[in-house]
Amino acid sequence: MISTSSGGGRGRRQSTLLGLRQELPRSYRWAATFGGVLAIVALWGLASTVWATGTSFSVPTFASTWDALVEMENDGTLFTDLAASLQRVVIGYGLALAFGVAIGVLMGSFGSATAFLEPQVGFLRYIPASALTPLFLIWMGIDETPKVALIIAGTIFYVILMTADVVRAVPMALINAAYTLGAGRLTIIRRVIMPHSWPGIIDVARINLAAAWLMLVVAELLAAQDGLAFRIIRAQRFRAIDRMFALLLIFGLLGLASDLFLRWLRKRSAPWAEQS
Amino acid sequence: MTTVPKVRVASLVKRFGRGPQAVTAIDGIDLHVATGELVCIVGASGCGKSTLLNIVGGLETLTTGDVEIDGEPVIGPGPDRGMVFQSYSLYPWKTVAENVAFGLECAKVPRKLRAPRVAELLDIMALTEFADRLPGELSGGMRQRVAIARALAPEPDVLLLDEPFGALDAQTKKAMQDFLLTVWQRTDSTILMVTHDVEESIYLSQRIYVLTSRPGRVGSIIEVPFGRNRGPTIKRDPRFLDLRDEIEDLLLTPADRDDTNQT
Repeated sequence: MISTSSGGGRGRRQSTLLGLRQELPRSYRWAATFGGVLAIVALWGLASTVWATGTSFSVPTFASTWDALVEMENDGTLFTDLAASLQRVVIGYGLALAFGVAIGVLMGSFGSATAFLEPQVGFLRYIPASALTPLFLIWMGIDETPKVALIIAGTIFYVILMTADVVRAVPMALINAAYTLGAGRLTIIRRVIMPHSWPGIIDVARINLAAAWLMLVVAELLAAQDGLAFRIIRAQRFRAIDRMFALLLIFGLLGLASDLFLRWLRKRSAPWAEQS
Repeated sequence: MTTVPKVRVASLVKRFGRGPQAVTAIDGIDLHVATGELVCIVGASGCGKSTLLNIVGGLETLTTGDVEIDGEPVIGPGPDRGMVFQSYSLYPWKTVAENVAFGLECAKVPRKLRAPRVAELLDIMALTEFADRLPGELSGGMRQRVAIARALAPEPDVLLLDEPFGALDAQTKKAMQDFLLTVWQRTDSTILMVTHDVEESIYLSQRIYVLTSRPGRVGSIIEVPFGRNRGPTIKRDPRFLDLRDEIEDLLLTPADRDDTNQT
């Protein structure tokens, strides 16, 4: 007989910290998160002492990164850059979401819309949006328009296709039930398909937000007078690695904040989709 | 003058696919339901009983034949034929009361008139205290009661039930069957119900259409000898047990019969 007992009882005791797919107790979760942050800060601290400033491969200390941040704050560039970049992302990604979600809902709802639009969308999404930069600069000049257009081009096709998939995941039974209750197609789109798809659409917005920031950087690297990515390019000229680090931190924090916001929004506006 | 039945299905044929690949799911079914009747369709899986109900509901099209409500042909789904599905199909973002009110909203019933109708239905379904809960918070039996209330709200001519209690555990199922009887007795609804549970069909209905499988045809029509005001006691009636054996025998496929003969 195979021994299943190693003294003190039968079976394998479930681990608290390393249970497979187990909910972690609150205190453990906070401790693990805090530990993770601490680990990365410690690595950074270590790296900044090993690769001290002076060589070309140097890692700035927290202090010099912080100083660079304060310096940009004091001379006002931080605010103008942040405002310029945010404005481009909000307008560009906002438009991409508005049109992308509308087209995606149409494609997900109607087979005819899918048949009509799928070839174009399938083709266009494989054109790397960054490769459109020179074209957009010739067509639209170097002001805000090509930057916003690039963000749209880099995100809208994914928003369309992912939204269409979210809509196709609405159970047919819910649609049929609405028909038998006397609902018309428009009512079903507004009152059944949209509410059911809403949490999924927020997820689509979350996932593609990263691509919006990516396209912003591409746009600002090539032609801009302000913006966070433009400031990074400027920093390269002066070998101001501490400034670059400060700006990269800003990017990361912006992304984290928008992600947390969208997650909060999902939880708040569609609590029914959280369980199960 | 002969009275027009509430539901009339005549020479109904449903084929899926075209050409040599076509599969005949339903091969010439005739049935009728009179106003106020509760009729069951019983059959093994693959007899096309759900397809039949979906065609009456207007959710699927027929290949040939007639399906009429009050003598008018069915051309699509509508609130005159309320449907209840095995999977509940409640809207998980709407509260119980909002789910029940949805059909009234679609019919543009003013909000002031909606509330008393919803309250009445919730009362019949014993759901009043759960009016503001979401479906995700309810048990299976309660969800199905919400679904029945929602289907009844627009006052349909016919209630179509597609294995409504198939996903419920045995105790809940019994309670729901009694519940449906009460609702039927209280509301004078006309009900056409699909099930694979033979005892359920005898306990609830006045007439049973037993379908044969692949393709679906009416194997036999059984008039249930119990009146409208029936209760659980009929389950011990010898006629109930005889009927059950008779229908179960009808549902055996030829392959099953071979097995029975060998033993």
